[in-house]
Amino acid sequence: MEEKIICSMNGVGIYGVISICIFVAFFTGMLLWAGTKKKGYLDRMGSLPLDSGEIKSNDQLNPE
Amino acid sequence: MNIETFKYDNRIVRAFAIATVIWGIVGMLVGLLAAVELFYPGANLNFQFITFGRIRPLHTNAVIFAFVGNGMFMGIYYSLQRLCKARMFSDFLSWFNFWGWQSIIVAAAITLPMGFTTSKEYAELEWPIKIAIAIVWVAFAVNLFGTIAKRREKHMYVAIWFYISTAITITVLHVTNSMTMPAGWFKSYSMYAGVQDALVQWWYGHNAVAFFLTTPYLGLMYYFLPKAANRPIFSYRLSIIHFWALVFLYIWAGPHHLLYSALPDWAQSLGMVFSLMLIAPSWGGMLNGLLTLRGAWDKVRQDPVLKFMVAAVTAYGMATIEGPLMSIKTVNSLSHYTDWTIAHAHGGALGWNGFLTFSVLYYVFPRLYKTSLWSTKLANYHFWLGLLGIIFYIVPIYVAGITEGLMWKQFNKDGFLQYPNFLESIIQVVPMFRLRSIGGTLYLIGVFMMAYNLYRTAKAGQFEPDTEAQAPALEKVEAPHGKLAFHRLLEGKPLFFTALAVVAILVGGMVEIIPIFLIKENVPTIANVKPYTPLQVLGRDIYIREGCLGCHSQMIRPFRSETERYGEYSKAGEYVYDHPFLWGSERKGPDLAREGGRYPAAWHFNHLDDPRSTSPGSIMPRYSWLLTQKLDRESLPARLAALRRVGVPYPDGFENGPAQKDLDAEAAKIVADLKQGAVTCEPDREIVALIAYLQRLGTDIRSAPVAAQ
Repeated sequence: MEEKIICSMNGVGIYGVISICIFVAFFTGMLLWAGTKKKGYLDRMGSLPLDSGEIKSNDQLNPE
Repeated sequence: MNIETFKYDNRIVRAFAIATVIWGIVGMLVGLLAAVELFYPGANLNFQFITFGRIRPLHTNAVIFAFVGNGMFMGIYYSLQRLCKARMFSDFLSWFNFWGWQSIIVAAAITLPMGFTTSKEYAELEWPIKIAIAIVWVAFAVNLFGTIAKRREKHMYVAIWFYISTAITITVLHVTNSMTMPAGWFKSYSMYAGVQDALVQWWYGHNAVAFFLTTPYLGLMYYFLPKAANRPIFSYRLSIIHFWALVFLYIWAGPHHLLYSALPDWAQSLGMVFSLMLIAPSWGGMLNGLLTLRGAWDKVRQDPVLKFMVAAVTAYGMATIEGPLMSIKTVNSLSHYTDWTIAHAHGGALGWNGFLTFSVLYYVFPRLYKTSLWSTKLANYHFWLGLLGIIFYIVPIYVAGITEGLMWKQFNKDGFLQYPNFLESIIQVVPMFRLRSIGGTLYLIGVFMMAYNLYRTAKAGQFEPDTEAQAPALEKVEAPHGKLAFHRLLEGKPLFFTALAVVAILVGGMVEIIPIFLIKENVPTIANVKPYTPLQVLGRDIYIREGCLGCHSQMIRPFRSETERYGEYSKAGEYVYDHPFLWGSERKGPDLAREGGRYPAAWHFNHLDDPRSTSPGSIMPRYSWLLTQKLDRESLPARLAALRRVGVPYPDGFENGPAQKDLDAEAAKIVADLKQGAVTCEPDREIVALIAYLQRLGTDIRSAPVAAQ
């Protein structure tokens, strides 16, 4: 039934194929690339928010 | 090492924090009123400015752009300075951002109840306000990039990446979807028509959820969760994958809002596939947030900030698995147009955005006022009340949504619709609407408790306008040749990073949108489909003004249950003159795509005057002002000229004389039709135009061949 609704389109099928290829390439590349990160670098980046540089730090306020 | 001393600006953070609380209360109150009107239509007191169709966009705009928008700015202005170890780039721009944003919200709060709307969901504001939004947003972006440029911390933490992607993507989305042709100060017509307008709108609508409600809040999560738990994020590597996969994938998923519509099938399929892929990065992010608390769950028991965060991140996980599931075409065939969508949206809005905003407020306020939270106990009560509120809101609405979907599709053993009258499904779920409003009330009471708690905290402490901080000046270090890893280069250079992020978000949008515009076969023309007459144009504009599309779709999907109920399924070619498209996304009333000629004019007159006189049990509000208000025919020439400019083939000069004659003739015909039903009405009343429009709907192809090229 849907074939009747949406008339045939020349050449659009290629968009689907290209999109999936772009996605697979992007995702694989990104996984590989993220895997190459060194632990020291990741640790340093991860701890960035914990040092706000404030002279009198408010970070450890007691919630009570 | 050259240590520099500088000050973080707390005033701007406080301003946004207060605005967040105030607008949160306003937006939720409007939502509660809308919820009550759905089971008690008289709650608008027959006052047009607070009728459901007008306050629904007011509610969505208020909670998205006013509550979450201010919350986002609050969190960004607080965390960005501390992550960059620098004061904001420009105090002037900070305050321009603040007052500009508040002015836009006030303008929205005035214009939307007045009926000045483009009708495009989450983009309803008319063109002068849209321009103001663009200017204020650019000011924010300049301030953001300026602060990044003058940072003392070499590396850009992942939260900043999310902020950058927000700034650039919202700019692209807002500009693309706001292309309209003005027809006066408070009226404009979308440059796009029908299918193309629908695709651009939902590309925008979906990505407004992605880049306004999600990415900035993920940035806040990546900053405030480690801060509150006092430990680094579980996996920074995972956060890198989370960011890039999310910004790349999100943009493709827009067409899942248009499944089984007249949008070409290939675009629908792309939307569905990419929506499913989105589960991977979304859950990666959620797990990253929750696993950060490994070994620190005892803190969650005591600290309301962490409590709200855990619930928020869990709600993010729930919403981001439900969304992709709803994008599967078979699931969507049941869920679309029903209250299921509302339940899904509120699970994300109340749980993810609401709770994360509350956690950041509870975190920031005591620090701005250099004191402790006034009452942890009250904050804990807020948490449990809010959680109960969410459950009481979404569970009944899920039940309502699934009930509606099943009743619309149910056939009896003889092959006829089990519930041929649409109203039966609504009457069935009205008790759920009542329960939902109780959930909303509980949630709102919690917000009032928070407001009081924060007020007492502020009273107890002393506001610190600037926080002094120290950090070494950023020295330019020359990279040893070939030694600098690509990503370190990337996040060390904001412009390069931004350029790559732009490419990542543009690919998906372009692959989907450009073919719809370029390939003619995507919208087959239908010879019988003609532009609307002058009276119908004015009637259609009243339909837009009253927000009818908030409850009535104009898109019949190709299911037997729909064609039996409404008639022939909708074709792309039927909408080529629809600037904007009015497909709608929700059915609280029946679809109107083939409404023309279904009932006599007098039925529409009586129904609009008092829906319960023709349809007992209906939850539609009365529109009695349409019977008395005079039609604004003076604006007709400007409207027709604007429509011609966007491509509707009205002959040159048509608007200067022939159009008025045409209008008079058609109005006289409608009045004559009304007389046959024993209704007398002046031809210059608004209701005449609206009836003319309703009687036209779907009649073009009734006797036409399906697709005559």
